[in-house]
This record gives sequence, structure tokens and C-alpha cells, in this order.
Amino acid sequence: MKTSTPTPSTRNKALERFIRNRLAVTGLILIGVFVLIALFAQVIAPFDPIQQNYEQLLQPPSSRHWFGTDNLGRDVLSRVIYGTRVSLSAGIIAVSLAALIGVLLGLSAGFFRGFVDEIIMRIIDAMLAFPFLVLAITLAAILGPSLQNAMLAITVVSIPVFARVTRGQVLSERERDYVQAATALGANDARIMLQHVLPNIAGPIIIQSTLSIAGAILAESSLSFLGLGVQPPTPSWGEMLNVARGYLRDAPWTAIAPGILIFIAVLAFNLLGDGLRDALDPRQQS
Amino acid sequence: MKVFVVAGILVTFGALATFAQERTLNVGLDADPPNLDPALSSAFVDRQVQNQIYDKLVDINPKLKIIPMLATAWKVSDLGTTYTFTLRPNIKFHDGTPFDANVVKFNLERYMTLDTSRRKGELASIKEIKVLSPTSIQLNLKFPFAPLLAVLSDRSGMMVSPAAVAKFGKDFTNNPVGTGPFKFVERRRQDRIILENTNTYWDTANRPNFDKLVYRPFPDGDVRAANLLSGAIQVMTPIDPKDLKAIAENTRTELASIAGLGFQGIPLNTTKPPFNNKALRQAFAATLDREAIDRVVFQGSVTPAVTPFPPGSPAYTKFFQVNPPNLELAKKKLAEGNQPNGFSFTMLIATGTVNAQLAQLYQAFAKTANIDMKIEQIEFGTLLARADKKDFDALALGWSGRPDPDGNIFDFFVTGGVSNYSGYSNPRVDKLLQLARQTRDIVIRRDIYEDALENIVSDASYPITYFQKVNIGKLKTVDNLPLNPDGIMRFKSVKLN
Amino acid sequence: MLTFALRRLLYAIPTLLIVTIMVFSLVRILPGNPALLMLGEEASPELVAALNRDLGLDKPLYEQYFSWITKVFQGNLGESLRNNESITKVVLEKLPTTLELAFLAMLVALVLAIPAGIFTAVKRGGAADSAVTVLALSGISLPNFFLGVLLIYFFSVRLGWIPPSGYVTPAENLGQNLLLMLMPAVTLGTGTAGVLTRFLRGSMLEVLTQDFVRTARAKGVGAAGVIFGHALRNAFLPILTIFGLQLSALLSGAVITEQIFSIPGFGRLLVEAVATRDYPLLQGVVLLSSIAIFIVSFLVDILYASVDPRIRYQ
Repeated sequence: MKTSTPTPSTRNKALERFIRNRLAVTGLILIGVFVLIALFAQVIAPFDPIQQNYEQLLQPPSSRHWFGTDNLGRDVLSRVIYGTRVSLSAGIIAVSLAALIGVLLGLSAGFFRGFVDEIIMRIIDAMLAFPFLVLAITLAAILGPSLQNAMLAITVVSIPVFARVTRGQVLSERERDYVQAATALGANDARIMLQHVLPNIAGPIIIQSTLSIAGAILAESSLSFLGLGVQPPTPSWGEMLNVARGYLRDAPWTAIAPGILIFIAVLAFNLLGDGLRDALDPRQQS
Repeated sequence: MKVFVVAGILVTFGALATFAQERTLNVGLDADPPNLDPALSSAFVDRQVQNQIYDKLVDINPKLKIIPMLATAWKVSDLGTTYTFTLRPNIKFHDGTPFDANVVKFNLERYMTLDTSRRKGELASIKEIKVLSPTSIQLNLKFPFAPLLAVLSDRSGMMVSPAAVAKFGKDFTNNPVGTGPFKFVERRRQDRIILENTNTYWDTANRPNFDKLVYRPFPDGDVRAANLLSGAIQVMTPIDPKDLKAIAENTRTELASIAGLGFQGIPLNTTKPPFNNKALRQAFAATLDREAIDRVVFQGSVTPAVTPFPPGSPAYTKFFQVNPPNLELAKKKLAEGNQPNGFSFTMLIATGTVNAQLAQLYQAFAKTANIDMKIEQIEFGTLLARADKKDFDALALGWSGRPDPDGNIFDFFVTGGVSNYSGYSNPRVDKLLQLARQTRDIVIRRDIYEDALENIVSDASYPITYFQKVNIGKLKTVDNLPLNPDGIMRFKSVKLN
Repeated sequence: MLTFALRRLLYAIPTLLIVTIMVFSLVRILPGNPALLMLGEEASPELVAALNRDLGLDKPLYEQYFSWITKVFQGNLGESLRNNESITKVVLEKLPTTLELAFLAMLVALVLAIPAGIFTAVKRGGAADSAVTVLALSGISLPNFFLGVLLIYFFSVRLGWIPPSGYVTPAENLGQNLLLMLMPAVTLGTGTAGVLTRFLRGSMLEVLTQDFVRTARAKGVGAAGVIFGHALRNAFLPILTIFGLQLSALLSGAVITEQIFSIPGFGRLLVEAVATRDYPLLQGVVLLSSIAIFIVSFLVDILYASVDPRIRYQ
């Protein structure tokens, strides 16, 4: 994932390439739609997502309940609409935090090298050696189940990849002329890193963030699927799918709606990330 | 050359054919039985397998009456402090060693003294064990203890081979040896436990007609049911409520149900706010719609309850009725408890979709009286730890049940009882529960329990919500599987068609 | 080359030590007490204390760590708290199952990805490329628990073709074993297939623009010859790398896949170990999977370095 130093003209070209990439634009639009749904859930949802109705258990889709009702008679459509909030906030917040911490660690490791680098990278290596979900499950079990704790677990497991990407970029950037020049001019380390190096390595980090958000949404729904995420009655796609699994024979619609939404949301971020990579990484272009 | 190949193929097929003739009964359970040593076992599911490997001193029949097993007869002294058992002669363990009174003494003493024995509490009333002859043994008690025979019909009465205990030590649990109709062959963790018909069982009228009994754990209820419906297993228990209908309606399978011994309820922590306030406990209890629980979560497969004694129990009483939710009462009690506008608390539940569904029902009930109930779903392990430390407001918890009524009430409501999670303490209840376990006449005991229950129900430290049923799904080719309220499947009489 | 390998191996020691400490401390700060869990409904304080003593859980943590790590160095992972079973034995019993699953998943991934990767690289930029790209990204985006549920719904509930779950060993009945492994392998393999397709496309594109391919073309080697004789062979290293990197993802995926299809493998062992707080078992399972991931990434690094000298910075 090496990139050349972007200059204003390459940036414009990148933007152009991005806009021409229809898939990436589709991803961006989808994400926009999800964000709107999450923000205006109260307005859009036709029913209260936690209102139970014991006379309407497991009803198939109808004009009243577009996606049918679940095992407590709640409107599945309203629940997936509210579930968007959980998934998006888990993805975006957890990854933003992880990126912040990971980039700082990577910057320090790459810039100071030597002892600091050794310590940071050994710990990062150790973390990477844990299977992602295993670490997340263990952390979620330690912290106790709640959305915040699930997000925290996802943050922790997402840090290493940012540290690695950043360190790699810094290692190649610091040998470049503009950094050497700045050092010669007496600029201090923090300043060089934040003002010069960081903007130049932003591309790969943005790509990684997008892809990590996709992973984080999957991770949140996996944790909820295992009962370690949001607590009932708050709707979450993963939890809805877990409950619905038991009713596949009689009420498959309760599984289809949340499953498809997880899929589309993750796909949207992956499309965007993939398109960004194509746009920012000229090696893949002819 | 070709002839040899053909001959080889024929031999292989022959071998396959004989292999296929070996008749196996596959049983689906909800968990991998953790421990097959009766001394160390604490999970209900262990008993399913143990009961095929070991015989017990006595057994219970479907009417919960004590019947002979390894003990053919017994006599109880008038004061109820001396039990004398006559033992069945000429019984051998699977390892060939004989069973006699010394073996009984060895086993009971092992259960009572082994450092990590889970049986100590049940046998605490025994003072002395005397071998009178190879076929006769006498137990002297410190005080009369009515539940003793019922206790000996369970793990405390299981007789294991002393030679095998000596040989395997700590690993006896992985090499269990008893006198039962099936002997242990091997276990693969989370995969299967394989038992084999001994063909030499002493109860000749009850010898199974198949060769192998295999237990397979399927933690997921859907998977368990799907395996039964596809014929991959022939018997399964328990059954998720949503799968009951499919099993009952399928042409190849049938459903057998009987009222169980256990109960489910909501221990409320009486040692801290808000539930140290009796009126608030009563207010929450008044919102419970037990009929809706049965209908919505269990599709009519459980029995709404207010006491810990299910209909099959000798202590069952019609005196306590299941009332519909009473909002008036709830509001009145809220005012009485100085929280006229409602209050809020958190209920801990174990992970699992049925648990979550049930808790959301409780939550909706509470809301009708403006009581704000939050749900915290944690693993069973964490739940027990927090229950033990009294670090909770309310729990959703149950009990698998015991044949003697004492096992369903004493430890839950006596001050400092092992399962008294709510920290309940009522001197009058303490006195009545002690009295009841020393009384052998069941009619008198029932009256004593009625007295105690009046306090217990009104104090609402542990509102009981429903009795679960024992549900067994099986293929129609499996015959003669007795249905027992204790939920244990006894396979010795089973005939496979 | 050798010095590089040795240096990497030297680095591995502190990292693995950190891994053991992380494993140990993570496991110990899990709330909940194994003794209490084992006793379940019947826990009395005296019994809990006796059991803790018996299991060695009353000793100070550092002492427990050292006695564990000493045993690990002797190749002994200890005994399961639950029933005193040897953990090495349990793990060796479960590992083949998960390896079979992972192997079949990889196979599924390869079968899907190689043609798709070549196709997109050759037809780059067209509508077909976009379509396959969307498919590949869909593979990555489809949560494996949803795919598993869908497969069960269609092939078991609806069509009744394949039993929904269960497991028989290949020794018992190979046909049945493969039939039962089919849906889990597809469930687990599609994500990897997506990743693989993307990488294969990228590396094929790179190779296709290189001189030796042009030379081959100029020499009149046919399109198929170029692709299979030259480009694919050279694009194979990145594929191996992805295999290595996907091991972690596969192990994570196996946790969920084994749960859905009730396969008694490594993943379910792990979930059980967490749920019962079987400390030695959990430590053993996590440690072994970490070491496996570590070894694979080590091999990948070596492989890379031996092929691409630029990697050997420092």
C-alpha cells in the first residue's frame, strides 16, 4: 500500500478517478442514505421499535408491517431502522478512536525508531497474533455486555492495523527530501510529524479507516449475534438476526431484513474503500 | 487378480454390513455433560448419562414414589433417625468387582468426605454408616431428615466401583464404572459420549435391545430439533418452545410431555434498594402477567406458578392461585413504598434468545406500572458470580427441581441458604422449613409448607413465575421410554424397532 | 537471508512472551469464577474454597503464571478445570476438525477466486470487471453468520437436501463428512474468496505490465499461455501471503461457523472455555492459535524477503 507523495495536481486526478469510479460513488451514496436513516430514525420508523404486541406475533410482511413482526410482535422495519444507529455509531466511533490511537502509535514508532519502535511494535505484533474475534469476545466478556463496551473492544482490536500502516508510511516518508529539509531547518519532531508527514500519509489511513469501519460493523453484529453487544430491547441488526435464526422455519422474514442491511452497510464501506484505494494508488492504474 | 479384488470388495461390504447391523440409539442433549463422577457432578445434564452407567440405592417412579434398585428393601425407625437397607446380592460392576455393603459405605463416605464433593450438603444428616452384613447396611442420622430417600434416588445414591476410583483417581470422571445397564466406552468433548449395552444387566426384564447408546450435545435448540426431524438422532431433550409443534406434527416423530419438578422465577435482592423495600417488591410482583409468559414465550407449554411446588410434587397445594396482573395493587404498593411515580432497577439475565425474550416481557409488564426495568444480559458464569456477591437488583433464574419438596424450598428461602440469592430472612419461615424437613408425614408437612408459603409469597423476595415441563421428542421407532417428572430418561427398558 | 530469518526469530521471543502474558492476564480478568461455575446451583462457600484450593486458584497470580509458563515450555498445556482432561489431548482432538474446515474453506475460496481474479485482470475496466468486483466485495461484506443462516434456510429447511448441521469424522463416513462440511466451508470460504479475488486482480495487473510478459507476448506466446504460464505463476506469491494473513480471519470465522453448524472444533472449544471460565483450556486454545498465526506470518515474511530483497530494510 505504498503511495507516491500527493501534490495538488495528483490530488485532483485522484478526485477525478474517484468520481469516475461508479462503484465507489454508489458506496458513498449508500453510506449517506444510512447516515440519514440513522439521524432521522424517529421520523422514518412507522412504529415504536420496542412496542410489543402479543396479538401480532411473527406476522408475515403486510401493508401495515412491511417487513413483518418479530417474536414479541414488534415491527421489524422500525427495528432495522433504529438498528442503523447502533451499527453506524459502533463502526464510525470505534474506528475513529482506533485510528487516532493507532496513528499516534505508528507515528511515534516510525519517527523515533529504536527502542520506542521496538516496544510498540512488539505489542502490536502480539495483538495481531490474536484472532480478531477471539480478542473481541474476550474483551467484551471482561467489560460486560453493552454497546459502549462492544465499541471499546472493537476499538482495541482495530488499533494494530492503523499503527502498522502508519509506521510503514512514516518509514518511507521520513527519508524524503521535504522531511530532511524541515529537519535541517530545525523544525521539531512533533511539528514535522503533524504538519508535514501526517498530511502526506492521510490517503492510506483514510482507505484503512473505511475498510476498518466495514470490519467494525461486522464485528459489532457478530458480538450482538453472540449476545455480547447492545442490551435488549434496543434493536441491533446482529441481535435481531440471532433471535430470528430460531424462527427460520416459520418466520424467515425476521432474519432477511437485518441480514440484508448488515450486508449492504458493510458493502457500502467496502465499495468506498476499494474505490478510494484505486483512486489514491496509481499503481493500480494504467 | 480380479477375483481377489472382487473378494476383497465382498469382504469389505461384509464388514460394512455387520457394522451396519450394530444398533445404536443416538440421544441429543443441550449440553456436553461436564462431569460423570457423581461426587463432583453439579450439572443437571450429567444425570442423564450417569443414570445409565450407575445404579442407585433406590429410584423414583413417575409418581415420585421411592422404588427398590440396588437396595431391595429398607426400614426406617420410628423416630426417623435409623435407616436399614437390604442390598441386592450377586451384583457386579462393569470392571468385574462385586457390589456389597462395604461398597455402599465406601461410596457414601466418599460423597461425605471428599474435599471437593458436591454431595456433602445432601448427606449432612448422616452420623454413622454401619455394615451389618454383606447385604445389609444401616445409616444412623444426627436428626430426622425426611428427604433422605429422595436424595439417595439421585447422585448421592449412585454406586461407583471403588476399584476404579482407586485405579483412576482424579481421572475417574473420564473412566466411570458402575453397575448400570450400560457401560462407558469413550467420550469426545463437545462431540459424543458412547455407552455400550452390557447385555448382563441384573434386571433381566429390563435389558435394552440395542448395542450402543450415544449422547450428543447440541447447544443450539434449532439444531437439536433439526437433527431429530431428519432422523440423525432418535431422542432429544430439552425442546425449545418454538420447536414443540413441529415435533408433535411430524409423521415420524412424537412429543412426550409431563409436568416437571422445577420452577422459574425472579430473585429480588432484599439487601439493597430498591428491593429491600417490601412494598416495591410487591408492586413489581403485581405487574407479572404469567398467562402472557406461557402464551407468548412458551406457546402454552409451561404452567403459570406462584409457589415452588409444581403440580406433581407431594407438597403441591391449590391454596395459592395464579392471579392476573393487578395494576391497582401495583400502584397502591408503589405509593406505600414511597415511590408513587415508579422506580427503576436492572435485571440480570443469562445469554440466550428465550431468556432475552422472557426478560423483555418482564420489562413490558413493569412498564405498565411505570417501573423502569433495564436488562443486562451476561454469561451464566458472570451471573452466578454476581448473584453470589449480591451484586444485582433482580435475576431471572430457575431450578431443575428435586423429588422431595425440601429440595425446592429450603435452600432458597432459609436464612443464609445456599441458593437464597435474594438474601431473604424471615425467622418464622426458617423455623417452619426446619420443622418440615424433620417431619415424615407428608400431609402434616404440606400444612407446614402452606404456612411457610403464605409468608414467602407475600414477602415477594423471589416471585415464582412458571413451572417448566419435561419435554422429550423421539422417533416413533423408539418404544417403551418411561417419562419421569425428574426429566431423566432411563434407557434400560427401551426397545428400538 | 539467514541473518534476517534469525533476527525475525529473535524478535519472536519477546512477542510470544507478551502474548503469553496477555493471554494469561486477559483470561484472569474475566469476571466470574470457575469454581462457582462448576458448582452451579449447589455452590456453598466452603465448597467454593475447597475447589479453588484443589484447582490451585488460591495461589498468587504471578505464581500461577510461572507454574503455567514452565509447563508450557515443557510442552504441557495443563488439565481442563472441568474434568481434569489433558488440554493437549483435547486440542489435538479438535484441531483436525477445524483444520479440515479451514482447508475446505480455502479450497472453496481458490475455486471461486482464481477464475474470478484472472477474469477481472484480463477484462479490466469493463462492465464485467465491475460486476465481479461487486461480487468479490459482496463476498467480503456478507457476514458469515448470515450466510450460514441463509444456507441452512434454503438447503436444509426449504429443500431438505443437506442435514442442517452435525459432524461425523471422515474416518467414520467420508461422504457424510464432506456433505456436512459443505455448507460450513462455503460459509467460511466466501469472505476469503472475495479478498483473494481482489488481490489476485491487483497482482495479475502488475505482472501483466512487466517486461517479461511483454517479451513473452512479443515472442508470440498466446494469451492463455501468457496468463497461465507466466502471469499466474508470478502472481502466486501474493496469494500465499493472503493465505497466511487470512488464517487469523479463518480462525475468527470458525468460531461463528462452528457455532452455527454445531461442529465440535477449535472455535466451539474456545467459546465453551470462555463460558465456563476454564482458565487453562482458554489459555491453551488462545495461545496455540496465536502461535499458529505467528508462525504463519513469520513464514510469509521469510518467503517475501527471500523473493523481494527490498523488504530487507534496516
